[in-house]
Amino acid sequence: MIGFQADGRSIKANPGETLLTALRREGIHIPTLCHMEDMLPSGACRLCIVEVEGSGALVPACSYPVAADMAIHTRSPRVLEARKTIVELLLANHPDDCLYCSRSGKCDLQSLSVQLDVRQRAFPALPGPQQVELDMSSPSLVRDPAKCILCGRCVRVCEEVQGVSAIDFMGRGARTKIGTAFDQGLNLSSCINCGQCILVCPTGALTEQSSLDEVVAALADAGKVVVAQHAPAVSVSLAEEIGLKAGTDVDGLMVAALRHMGFDYVFDTSFAADLTIMEEGSELVERIRSGGALPMMTSCSPGWIKYVETFYPEFIPNLSTCKSPQQMMGAVIKNYWAERQGIDPEKVVSVSIMPCTAKKFECSRPEMGNELRDVDYVLTTRELGQLIRMFGVELQGLEPQLADNPFGERSSAGKIFGASGGVMEAAIRSVHYLLTGREMEDVRIQPARGMKGVKELRATVDGLEVGACVVSGLGNARDLLEQLRAGRDDLHFIEVMTCPGGCINGGGQPIGADLARIRSRMEALYRIDREDTLQVSHKNPWVLRLYEEFLGKPLGHESHRLLHTHYDKREAPV
Amino acid sequence: MEPRKKIVVVDDDEDVLEQLSQILGGEGYEVHMAASQAEGEELLLSLHPDLAIVDLMMEEQDSGFVLAHYMKKLYPDVPVIMLTGVTSATRLSFDATAPESRSWVKADRILDKPVRAEQVKELVARLLGRRRHGVGAEAH
Repeated sequence: MIGFQADGRSIKANPGETLLTALRREGIHIPTLCHMEDMLPSGACRLCIVEVEGSGALVPACSYPVAADMAIHTRSPRVLEARKTIVELLLANHPDDCLYCSRSGKCDLQSLSVQLDVRQRAFPALPGPQQVELDMSSPSLVRDPAKCILCGRCVRVCEEVQGVSAIDFMGRGARTKIGTAFDQGLNLSSCINCGQCILVCPTGALTEQSSLDEVVAALADAGKVVVAQHAPAVSVSLAEEIGLKAGTDVDGLMVAALRHMGFDYVFDTSFAADLTIMEEGSELVERIRSGGALPMMTSCSPGWIKYVETFYPEFIPNLSTCKSPQQMMGAVIKNYWAERQGIDPEKVVSVSIMPCTAKKFECSRPEMGNELRDVDYVLTTRELGQLIRMFGVELQGLEPQLADNPFGERSSAGKIFGASGGVMEAAIRSVHYLLTGREMEDVRIQPARGMKGVKELRATVDGLEVGACVVSGLGNARDLLEQLRAGRDDLHFIEVMTCPGGCINGGGQPIGADLARIRSRMEALYRIDREDTLQVSHKNPWVLRLYEEFLGKPLGHESHRLLHTHYDKREAPV
Repeated sequence: MEPRKKIVVVDDDEDVLEQLSQILGGEGYEVHMAASQAEGEELLLSLHPDLAIVDLMMEEQDSGFVLAHYMKKLYPDVPVIMLTGVTSATRLSFDATAPESRSWVKADRILDKPVRAEQVKELVARLLGRRRHGVGAEAH
């Protein structure tokens, strides 16, 4: 350990540590706009500058290593003035439209302006019209370069975490901007719509493509039957949007709020997750028995699907042909439930509440529906929060309600789909039963759990040595695909979630969550699983009834028509 | 055999015309092109299309609105897709789904440029396939 002085306090640090790490551990507030936890510093924004005594220099704490016996000042007048000037300079070409910005109240630049007491436009905006165009073309994301402060976080998460690199810095000096290859717009780029860039953006330069207007219009239309489904990860994340403690499960309150706002029926996507397990588990057993393409890879995460189609089309045969739970639910709502209820499917508006921006892209894929789209609109967790605020619903004042049947009852195996490793765990519980005819004594698959980006599992089921791997974050998926390409052949089943940690950390989730909050969302899911009495998908009585009444059997004719799909190679500049 | 469906495409950008003609021609549609609002109006007098795709900004900033309005007067049941980059440039957003917008935007759907080929194919197929049920019901 080495010692140094900060604002007159003695502080210990490990050799090689940066000032920022040491200072933050001590609870000393250092603002940053570009720093990202667990990643190398980029030193782009300079807001973390501190004054080093004796040298007269202002150095960035994020990238400056601690030296023995140094003395620094983190809040001297000079430091505060310099930080304020940096913010004023960033604001010089930033639109003054906080009132209209979707990130107002959750914007790092806005809160820094408040913290540093910026009270006037110190540098006048350049005259003339804004030269930067809004990119509205993507079905999932909107990018507004006018609000971009060039911190580079989106570029880094896209490249270093997701391995996609759809966006990068372009141009030089004052003309520097962030854009897509050939400046073609996100829609034609290799963007997989994951929305991780939205989560790291410190301003309103990146947001989701909103479907609120359409949903509000549908709710007001007496001629429509508006049906909602909500994904497993939403009920454990929505709490943060409405000011409750992270990791609080608001499932019943959310269902009540949806009904209160005018949704005619509310279904639970976790039911469709159980259905997915029936189909995907059977598909895996079928592939193992009949020599199909292995390892089989999960297909629930639409960012991952587009990633394979764009970057690794040779692995398309390995992808499970199962639609995602969202799309399965959409398909059975319009093709089975509507008829059962005597409702014209044309009148059904199917809205799904998802922790995900890529789901907006997924529901618009031509394969996802026949005459009618399986799902009409996707709202993110954030948009649901906004809808609740718009409608003035006080969640805490409502009585919890249950989702509607026939698609309201779920097993907890379907619920844990929301965390990385959940699909694997749910699948193992059911595949074990399919192969052996026996239930597992302890259904917990501990090695599949947790925030680690790569989790490997090995088991012997019915004499068969099975290898499985759980990855989240597409950079990790890319590494695994490269191993497979190089000849690795010990794996049978791979679960891939696009976002690190799975849907609990999806691109549609509440802004500003740190690792601790994401962990509490994950813990909430496993708590639900622990306390549930129905822990396996294959015993969900309503899933069994759906097969009995309508689908026949897993992988049967109707299943193939409605619950399975296909994928195609995609062209995009990579 | 069912006659080929006729689609009118109006855009002052030659590249867009050519691309859409290739994409839709490849799907088996009969594509008729016009490069301006005036040409579009003329074309519509001599041809009853099954669907039209119009650009918004052509010789006038609101050419697409005018043309879509004209089209709906002539052929009220024929779906119109408006293809535009206008929101990007002006930051004025409008859509074809909200009741308020529908009262004056005479298009059934608005697509922001640039569009992927599969988007155009999907939307055209849906609008054409669903004409018998009424176009206004089309979901976003």
